[in-house]
Amino acid sequence: MSAPSTFDLRPLTTSALALAAGLVLLAAGLAAAGHDPAAALGAMWRGAFGSWYAFTSATLLRATPLIVIGLGFALALRGGALNIGAEGQFYAGAIAATWAAFQLGALPAPLAIPLTWLAALAGGALWVLVPVVLKRRFGVLEVISTLLLNFVAEALVSLMVQGPMQEPAGIYPQSAPIPAAARLPLLPGTRLHAGFLVALALAAAMAFLLARTVWGFRLRAAGAAPRAAELIGRVDAGRFAGVALLASGAIAGLAGALEVSGVSYALYQNLSPGYGFTAIAVALLARGHPLGIVASGILFGALEAGAGAMQREAGVPSVTVYVVEAVVILAVLLADARGRSTPAVAGA
Amino acid sequence: MRRPRRLLPALLAAAAGAAVACGGGGQREGFRVALVTPGSIADAAWNAGAYAGLGQVRDSLGAVVSHVEARTPAEQEEALRTYAAEGYAVVFGHGFEFQGAAERVAADHPNTVFIITSGERVRGNVAPLVFRLHEASRLAGLAAGALTRTGVIGFVGGIELPPIREAYEAWAAGAAVTRPGVESRFTYLNNFDDAAAGREAAHALIRQGADVLHHNADAAALGVFQAVRETPGTWIFGANADQAALAPERVVASAVIDLPRAILAVAREVKEGRFTPRVESFGLASGVIRFEVNPRARAALPDSVWALVVRVRDSIAAAAP
Repeated sequence: MSAPSTFDLRPLTTSALALAAGLVLLAAGLAAAGHDPAAALGAMWRGAFGSWYAFTSATLLRATPLIVIGLGFALALRGGALNIGAEGQFYAGAIAATWAAFQLGALPAPLAIPLTWLAALAGGALWVLVPVVLKRRFGVLEVISTLLLNFVAEALVSLMVQGPMQEPAGIYPQSAPIPAAARLPLLPGTRLHAGFLVALALAAAMAFLLARTVWGFRLRAAGAAPRAAELIGRVDAGRFAGVALLASGAIAGLAGALEVSGVSYALYQNLSPGYGFTAIAVALLARGHPLGIVASGILFGALEAGAGAMQREAGVPSVTVYVVEAVVILAVLLADARGRSTPAVAGA
Repeated sequence: MRRPRRLLPALLAAAAGAAVACGGGGQREGFRVALVTPGSIADAAWNAGAYAGLGQVRDSLGAVVSHVEARTPAEQEEALRTYAAEGYAVVFGHGFEFQGAAERVAADHPNTVFIITSGERVRGNVAPLVFRLHEASRLAGLAAGALTRTGVIGFVGGIELPPIREAYEAWAAGAAVTRPGVESRFTYLNNFDDAAAGREAAHALIRQGADVLHHNADAAALGVFQAVRETPGTWIFGANADQAALAPERVVASAVIDLPRAILAVAREVKEGRFTPRVESFGLASGVIRFEVNPRARAALPDSVWALVVRVRDSIAAAAP
């Protein structure tokens, strides 16, 4: 995952070709299954971009958590760590944000909302703290430890919504609705919440941090070539990887807060349709570039929004869109691997 | 860092162009009915039944129909809102979990009727269909208590929603009648579509001694049936649909909801302008809830047990409101 900052159109071309390949394969599959590919893809397009409402309330709404989590994944990746546990950190953040929202509901919104974000950042970071310690102390692969903690987080959410955080009537496995003061403002006439601006701001901040600051340079050096960074630059690569992993967990937690305070207004067991995993694809497609992640996040948001419309209008099961996503990722990884002399090995 | 900056405006421009090019879309005429399911319609049970009902609405009422699957709370609200905005006359939210989202959406769309299958209460143009499936699960429990050799029975539930819990409690209570002191074990999977988890849970129950199983886990239950097929000497009672075909020699009976019948009836009322929002509750007396015995497994139990099942069924039906 090198970071070419020179003007180079090739990766963008690869991504576009990969997307085209995915769509062509989907069309072929639909035709083979007896569906009308033109009608299905047309419905998909309308569902994602067909109206201002669809673009904001379906595409950008879905893109928001993908962008935020994708940014976190990329940050860890640049620092030399693979965080596969964003799904769990997302849930940890969602639990923390929901809890904070109930504690802070009496405060005015400009105060309550940032505080729920802080709680979620802490929750996400806490969830990745164990893998960080295991990695630093004992060299346990974070790929394994973060992945396994996803299951623990999902179980914890189930416990919360059926126990201490269940709604007062004790019927539904979900929390009570969070107070109005903790809810994010919406773009008028749509369901898009202010969390999208947070995602954009985070992308800009990360782009600046990585490209323009000494800390960002050290992080990239530590991630790209840990031994060299240690020997030549006297950078503690392991520490950078740990910090990047912590930050990545915190950011995934923030995504959980945005989802609770902007979309669901309550804690649920199945709050995420796998954002933590799709976001990895989002980050890989953008090759870890913060602003590219915004674009690829919107692309994946559009694919999943379009998938719903495809099922509504053309009767094609929405899960078929995963074919496109998978082809895009495989094609990009393949192209990257071919473009290198050595096989692509991400992370430490 | 320059490439992405070019990509984003390009995408936005493309989106704007598309918005102009394909404004609207879809038909707006005729009687239109939509179904939102919380999972795949390939579950051979809850969602498949509703989808079959939607097909009957199309064929019998000449309606334009549409279906979409929505798993997360956010997607569910979005799906309800989209259909309502497109002017659908009836939108079925297929499950308890749609109640809150439908109430939020319905206030903005007074001309659409929202039917929450297995819902809870009436709020304006939101009305529930209540299925007292537990009445049939009680009959399954009666048969299971007579059938178990080990004295242990098992239940695999999806998410611990009230209708699921009621089904479990009725099943356990039924078994305790025919087998006093029966040990009732249960597992909730916390989802309705992980068949692998369903299979694991069933095997765990079987290891704990359960030899008769029942479920209410939709698609995840396909794994429960697999576990029963893999373990000689075990039996299973289906749920939501007649599931005898999933294990023809091992399914004793199924607690069935005739979803197509209920869905068609409500859609017809709306079409004919007779619909008033109310709690429509179906039990054994209505014929929408049924207890279907698998003819091939009937011999597993003596006739005296089946006679008891019929007596209890009739008394439940007679006591219905």
